[in-house]
Amino acid sequence: MSIISAQNLTKIFGSGATAVTALDHVNLSVNPGEFVAIMGPSGCGKSTLLHLIGGLDRPSDGKVVIDGTSIAEMNDDRITELRRRKIGFVFQFFNLIPVLNAIENAALPITLDGVKPAEAQKKAAEWLTRFGLSSRLASRPDQLSGGEQQRVAIARALAAEPALILADEPTGNLDTRSGDEIAGLMRDVAKKYGRTVVMVTHDPRIAAYADRIVFLKDGKIVDETLLERNNDGGAAIVAQKIREIGD
Amino acid sequence: MNLQLTLAVRYLAGRKLRTALTTLAIVFGVVLIFGMNTVMPTLIAALQANVQGAEGQADFTITNVAGDSFPADVTSRLQDIDGIRAFTASLERAVNLPADFVDNNPARPDRIMAVNLIGIIPEQARSIRAYPILEGRYLNDSDTAATVISQTLADAFSVKAGDSIRLPSISGLTELSVVGILPADIGPENESVLVTLPQAQKMTGESGNVNIIRVNVEAFADMARRTEIQGKIEAALGKNYRAGTLMAGEEMFGTMELAQIALSMFGALALFMGGFIIFNTFRTVVTERRRDIGMLRALGATRRTIIGAILTEGFLQGLLGSAIGLLFGYWMAFGVLKVAQGPLSAFVNIKLGTPIVEPGLVILSILLGVGVTVLAGLLPAWSASRVTPLEALRPTVTEVEFTRQTGRGFWAGMVILVLTVLAILSGQSTLILPGGILFLVGLVLVAPGLIRPFVSLFGRVVGFATVRQGIGGLAQSNLTRQPSRVAVTASTSLLGLAVIVAAGGLVTSMSGTLLDMLQDSLGSDYVYLPPSVGFWGSNVGAAPELAESLRAVPGVETVSTLRFASSQASGQVVSVLGIQPDEFQRVSGLVFVEGNKSAYEEIASEHALIANSVFMIGTGLKAVDTVELSTSDGQVQYRIAAVATDMLNAKINTVYISQDHLQTDFGNTEDVFIQIDLREGADREAAGAQIKALGENYPQFKVISGVDYYSTILAQFKAAFSALYILFAILAFPSLIAMLNTLTISVIERTREIGMIRAVGGTRRQIRNMVVAEALLLAAIGATFGILGGMYLGYVLVTAIDVIFPMGYSFPVSGIVAAIVIGLLFGVLAAIIPARQAARLEIIQALRYE
Amino acid sequence: MSVRYAVLGLISQKPRHGYETRVVFESLVGGDENWEVKPAQIYTTLDRLEEAGLVERSSDLGEGEEPSRRVFQVTPQGEEALQEWFASPVPSEHQRDEFFIKLIIGVACRQADPERLIQTQRVLLFQEMHAATNQREEYDPHTEMAQILLLDKAIMHLEADLRWLDMIEMRLEAIKEQPLPEPEIRRRGRPRKGEKGSTYPPPEKVVSPL
Repeated sequence: MSIISAQNLTKIFGSGATAVTALDHVNLSVNPGEFVAIMGPSGCGKSTLLHLIGGLDRPSDGKVVIDGTSIAEMNDDRITELRRRKIGFVFQFFNLIPVLNAIENAALPITLDGVKPAEAQKKAAEWLTRFGLSSRLASRPDQLSGGEQQRVAIARALAAEPALILADEPTGNLDTRSGDEIAGLMRDVAKKYGRTVVMVTHDPRIAAYADRIVFLKDGKIVDETLLERNNDGGAAIVAQKIREIGD
Repeated sequence: MNLQLTLAVRYLAGRKLRTALTTLAIVFGVVLIFGMNTVMPTLIAALQANVQGAEGQADFTITNVAGDSFPADVTSRLQDIDGIRAFTASLERAVNLPADFVDNNPARPDRIMAVNLIGIIPEQARSIRAYPILEGRYLNDSDTAATVISQTLADAFSVKAGDSIRLPSISGLTELSVVGILPADIGPENESVLVTLPQAQKMTGESGNVNIIRVNVEAFADMARRTEIQGKIEAALGKNYRAGTLMAGEEMFGTMELAQIALSMFGALALFMGGFIIFNTFRTVVTERRRDIGMLRALGATRRTIIGAILTEGFLQGLLGSAIGLLFGYWMAFGVLKVAQGPLSAFVNIKLGTPIVEPGLVILSILLGVGVTVLAGLLPAWSASRVTPLEALRPTVTEVEFTRQTGRGFWAGMVILVLTVLAILSGQSTLILPGGILFLVGLVLVAPGLIRPFVSLFGRVVGFATVRQGIGGLAQSNLTRQPSRVAVTASTSLLGLAVIVAAGGLVTSMSGTLLDMLQDSLGSDYVYLPPSVGFWGSNVGAAPELAESLRAVPGVETVSTLRFASSQASGQVVSVLGIQPDEFQRVSGLVFVEGNKSAYEEIASEHALIANSVFMIGTGLKAVDTVELSTSDGQVQYRIAAVATDMLNAKINTVYISQDHLQTDFGNTEDVFIQIDLREGADREAAGAQIKALGENYPQFKVISGVDYYSTILAQFKAAFSALYILFAILAFPSLIAMLNTLTISVIERTREIGMIRAVGGTRRQIRNMVVAEALLLAAIGATFGILGGMYLGYVLVTAIDVIFPMGYSFPVSGIVAAIVIGLLFGVLAAIIPARQAARLEIIQALRYE
Repeated sequence: MSVRYAVLGLISQKPRHGYETRVVFESLVGGDENWEVKPAQIYTTLDRLEEAGLVERSSDLGEGEEPSRRVFQVTPQGEEALQEWFASPVPSEHQRDEFFIKLIIGVACRQADPERLIQTQRVLLFQEMHAATNQREEYDPHTEMAQILLLDKAIMHLEADLRWLDMIEMRLEAIKEQPLPEPEIRRRGRPRKGEKGSTYPPPEKVVSPL
């Protein structure tokens, strides 16, 4: 069963003459454990799609079903609970609360769920360590590099052990090297830790890390593709490139 | 620590300057409330202690409900009450001593300004308490002009047992021989001068009377038994008497309670303004933190959690502010008491101690401080909870308010303004005072809508001044971007300055009227002035012989005296002043509110009195009613012939009756105040010299010329009014804090912008001037509103008080000038720090600021 | 071209014979499973270098005429030529692109939907980039740096190509509207005055959309 099922999803901003249709009857299905990238030119509605899936915004029409439950009927408290326990978010920038340190930030979803801070932070510390931040637990965001901040954000997204991770341009603010790191981390999250990851990006290089790409344009899905072709596809490329060097 | 507490502490610590500024507003309010309310009870307690004398060892103290004296044979009613072990009656009076009476040394400040003359039945008194003699002997029942005094007094007078001292009395100075010395008195009361009861009665003209009975009950009586005995005593004595703690000086208490209420209102107003400031700050805080709040919501924080976080921050600030406020409030009370000791002693003899801290007040102050802060944070907390998670992803630029400022609030304010103007035009006194306050509320509501026009109006002026700098326009637009924030700041200035202007109006009007009254009522040539004017009860006066001798002086046309008794009517304490209607009219005069001069005849011929406005209000009586005054013999009826006021007694419940009636009903013939007018063409020098000479034997009086008296009173008035002005100026202080707050926040919000301006070539000075221009604009707006509101409020106050104390409204020029000066001054002051900060911003850092 | 100079460089490093040169070259580019260099290729290259005077046979190991045993060493001209090669940049060849041709023909002949074309290409590029990225992860930076660098280049080029596709997509409307350039068929003979082909009056230029 798919973990995300968006059916006929529509979002219209504004009204009357100035109405903008950000999403136009979009249908999307994501299976558990998939790493999906959503791409498209700016203004195509990819961020809006992500917001609707994550319950950050309400659709004008259509519905979103997360793990079998439609979120349309949920009131604010229940959707909020969903965001605490079932969904983890990673954003492009300003991800962390500036007055809390790394471990407190990472523990936020659990703390907000009522777990005592000490216990919550133990869990958070595990994830931070897995992502190589064991020495930065007490650092404030302004003491961390961009890449480190995103890693804290990812640890935070995983802290409550949610099934679904939603990322909105997570590498948008990072340099190439850090971006690669983060993208690789997102893939680990899907492959190694078994979550479903849906990532919005405009960077093809980052999208290439995913299993599947969904192409959005003018609020509609225009194409989808799986990326795995064959196993030694990579080696073949190297060989080809070297051949090109030749006379 | 839970999450909300952690967040609150970190956010507060992260913006230390702003936290300090907002907490300051609460500190200010709490200081005033706690400080003022600590000063008053301490004063009252000192007063009580002063009067209690050797109170400590009696179980019950029986006094007349009016505080007056009563016949000694009343004690017989106590004979048969079961449970009473011993009792003793005494006559005690505070005798004010003129300056330098004791040490004869004008260079040294007086330590002893009054003594307690205590007339006892020596052996009976000993059954209640011990009188250990250090030197000499105790009193005998047969002693006449003998006294036992404390060691302290003996040292002050430089006498020992066997010497004698002199004290003022009704028949001039009386000499008493010191037969014994008691140990030094500990405590703040006056030094005691013990004499036999008959001697005291002679010296005060209270023959056959006592004014206190001290009672000791059986040993080991518990609370219930004591209450039972107390009940029996009161039943035996009747309703004119009270068994309890001695409460003399009722008249002073009345004034003090009034002052306490006024000062509490003060503190409440300051706290209210503090709430405004907190509200403003919280709104800004919520705006700044939209991203973080959105983030928390996106991560799964419920709306309740967000509200809790903001309120926790408020709670902490309130707690901090209250704690600091309590500390500073205590120090302020301490300082005020120290400073007040001097001037206060001129009026009444009490020694003030250290401030008394009532736990109830501490708790109340904390509750108020915290309560106001949390309340002020409620609305911002609610709007914070409405921030959507999307804000975390798409942070909105600092809220530029495009909403129409003329919304519901604006129209509600306009309606209120119109209503309040109608209220005052209607002339209904009950509507006037609330109308004045509502006017201010209306102004506050209307303010946001008026900001833009005001700013452009004033902006033109600023534009002229800064035409070469080009930043006036920026300052203007900065303010119009956020009209509601400006409005809140202006409202704080408004309130503070309005009070100053209103006070100015009140003071100007009052002083005008009062001075006129002074001229009329105290324009006599010579005055015999007792130490405590207005608190007649504590003075030792003179027997009628003095007035007679004065009449006999050649050149003297009229001698008018005042006599005094304390009484109760309709449950209120009343000063009963005995006048000689004819003479009184000629030398002095009352200002009639109802009725006219024919009343003077009426009080002479019948049991009638003239009451003052305060009395009428306090008892709720009307001008044609009769009133019952309680005397030591029971109740006596008087008809109210007229309502009138004179300056000396304006504040206290006072009724004027004829001296004949005073004698018959109250038994008083002591003159406590004497006014003398000379004949036209008389030899003023000679007459004056004689008048002064007669006064030498009555050192309890100061003999001054009417002109001198007038200037003394004038000086006192000026001093009091200046003090009042200063007090009100303090109220403008929160507006300074509010402006500082707003400017600081505004600079922080526009950090990037400032960086940009600097990057394209703006100089530091231009940035500084921009902030100052903004501050001046802010101040100008607040001052304008404040002056408008204040003029109105002042008019309202004058009209309201007109009922008690008739006066006309004078235009408060000085008040307005003061408001403008203070307003602009505060504007410039408030701008100093933010302007410096803005100018010092490093361009690179500013541009990177998120 | 670059094999030629690579060989020259290896020989300039130290005199080698053919066999040695081939082995060393293979190991440099990552083993013979990536690139199998035929021995003939090396020997031919060596001959050509000798003809050009950039290398010469060394007189040392002259034990017979087997090509693999011939030892070569670099000449001064050879050194010079090598230095010149180091000093000059490598021109890039980006104009010849089969997809490019496909797109233009497709638009011109109205035989294909350009958007479909672009999307098909895009999908392939993504698949390739995905494969390249995966592959890159598997190399050990300590020993297989050359392969990693190659893959980085591949990835970057793929990225560039994908961005180029985005750009084309944005301009599709403009491209479709451009008139198709038909080349003039030349008539035999001298063009008369005023006719097409004469130089008077000068013909109006047809601006190529490409």
